[in-house]
Amino acid sequence: MATLAKPHAASRVGPLATRKHINSAAKYIALTLFTLTWLLPIFATLLTSVRTMDDITLHGFWSLPSKFAIENFRNAWVAARVRQYLLNSFIITIPSLLGMLFLASLSAYALARFKFRGNLLIYFMYVAGTMLPFQILLLPVFRLTNRLGLYDTYGALILIHIAFQLGFCTFVMRNFMRTVPGEILDAARVDGCGEFRIYWQIMLPLSLPSLAALATLEFTWVFNDFLWALILLQSDSLRPVTAGLATLQGQYVTDWPLITAGALLATLPTVFVFVFLQRYFIQGLTLGSGK
Amino acid sequence: MASVTYRNVTKRWGDVVAVKNLSIEIPDGEFLVFVGPSGCGKSTSLRMLAGLEEVTEGEILIGDRVVNNVAPKDRDIAMVFQSYALYPHMTVYDNMAFGLRLRRTPKQVIDERVREVAASLGIENLLDRRPRQLSGGQRQRVAVGRAIVREPAVFLLDEPLSNLDAKLRVEARAFISKLHQRLGTTFIYVTHDQVEAMTMGQRIAVLRAGELMQIDTPTNLYDHPANVFVAGFIGSPAMNFFDNSELKEVDGKMVVDTGLFQIPVPSTRIETYRPHLGKRVIFGIRPENIAHPDYQPANVEPAMVEANVDVVEEMGNEKIVYLEEGGKTFLARFDPRADVHVGERINVVLNLYNMQLFDQETEQALQ
Repeated sequence: MATLAKPHAASRVGPLATRKHINSAAKYIALTLFTLTWLLPIFATLLTSVRTMDDITLHGFWSLPSKFAIENFRNAWVAARVRQYLLNSFIITIPSLLGMLFLASLSAYALARFKFRGNLLIYFMYVAGTMLPFQILLLPVFRLTNRLGLYDTYGALILIHIAFQLGFCTFVMRNFMRTVPGEILDAARVDGCGEFRIYWQIMLPLSLPSLAALATLEFTWVFNDFLWALILLQSDSLRPVTAGLATLQGQYVTDWPLITAGALLATLPTVFVFVFLQRYFIQGLTLGSGK
Repeated sequence: MASVTYRNVTKRWGDVVAVKNLSIEIPDGEFLVFVGPSGCGKSTSLRMLAGLEEVTEGEILIGDRVVNNVAPKDRDIAMVFQSYALYPHMTVYDNMAFGLRLRRTPKQVIDERVREVAASLGIENLLDRRPRQLSGGQRQRVAVGRAIVREPAVFLLDEPLSNLDAKLRVEARAFISKLHQRLGTTFIYVTHDQVEAMTMGQRIAVLRAGELMQIDTPTNLYDHPANVFVAGFIGSPAMNFFDNSELKEVDGKMVVDTGLFQIPVPSTRIETYRPHLGKRVIFGIRPENIAHPDYQPANVEPAMVEANVDVVEEMGNEKIVYLEEGGKTFLARFDPRADVHVGERINVVLNLYNMQLFDQETEQALQ
């Protein structure tokens, strides 16, 4: 039997291996093409950010810069006030993040761990809230902030970000917290914890993987928000970097090198946060407990 | 140090009754085991005592204090969980110190106690590790350590050995028994394993479907089961039952007629059973009370019957023999030297000093 099967198998190894090679080569080519297409805008931005306006007028966007103009970045940072805009972005993003993670983890703990009437209903309302297209909220929220005297303050943006992301954060954390073994919480109860301490000292540390994942995502979302900032802010001095960059666009002439340099500076924090927190996120996933 | 009392305790989940009118008094320092098949309410009973489940009706007392509405943290209890439930984000040291810190014990006292307990459990070299870096047996010890460091009045253990392999389990059984002797605290232990119950408990409470079937010392449970359930649950291999037997008098002698054999009632039991003459009964006899004629123990009242050998299991220290007669299979534990072969028809000796009779209807032992 074995002697019969051997030559048969050997004869098939050749073509099979070649086909495998062709297959993987095709995959690589396709993936490289996709990646290049994906990177094209960034490449164009990079290219534009280091040339002068005159250079663009003379040679167009798709050509090698005749002169390397690194001062665009300095101009963007100081003259175009990207420094101030970035600072504003952080002033808005960080309290929003802390607020939404704290409130969402509290409600997620209650929804994940307590049996009470209406638990599921509240949970579904959170989930439904995330499905609401925020465009239909623009006008009501604008009028609400006006009425509350919050219009054109950091507070308006921070509050709307917290409120709007709470549903998604609660949804993610509630499902994560349900995977924490109940006996650990019971052990803490017997050890002498009240419910808030269980949340704070046991549940929250054990939810670190989900917190880190959410923090990464939400940082990107809030930091990159443009529309709410456009609607709820008027003063240039309060604008986050997304809305700030938009003001650099002139009605007749636009300083493309300045804007692209500013845009690149604006992406740095998100890139940094993502790279840094993603490692943390993967580490956190290997938390071991129980048996 | 405290006694524990369950007074008419009932637990309901909606329409489902998990524990039904449970009343037990556990004196200070006793090692009590709750045993029963899964879903019998033993864990629920323990969790109600811990304060992790609410009591639907009745009262639970620790010492003289009704604790129904006392938070778990104020009950002065410690618990070891089936999954150990160690805090994964804390070191072994912090796991053990956690409860003491919450009680604002001075740092130095905490350090002393944790190290002392760790040394007594042989885990002092693990104090800086995290739970995921420990083996199952080590985790189990840490879980026990976390509980005893607190010096609670009552010590609760919920199937603490069921995640250990067979060999470790035997060691851990002795370890927990010794621990109880050393601490002298009230221990309440939940298990589904009757071997654990028999070997560790000073008294055993057997539960079925939320009802207390019997509570007594291991030997009394074994020798004087109150009903068919306890008789069948305690002991392995289980007791043989012959349903639909009849207690009657033949030629002036009291016999149990199983339909297959007529077994004379030993003289010591005749007076006890006389009021039940003529009743339908279940006759019970443990496998070790069925012996090979060549190796029958002395000083018993034997009855000889015939049966076919169906299966022989060699255990080394004994032979478990499946006997068959008239379509009814029953088990016997023979001396390992007994010469039996499958397919043979042999005489076996029933040692009746420990036979049991139960009412066919109520399944309660005849007394």
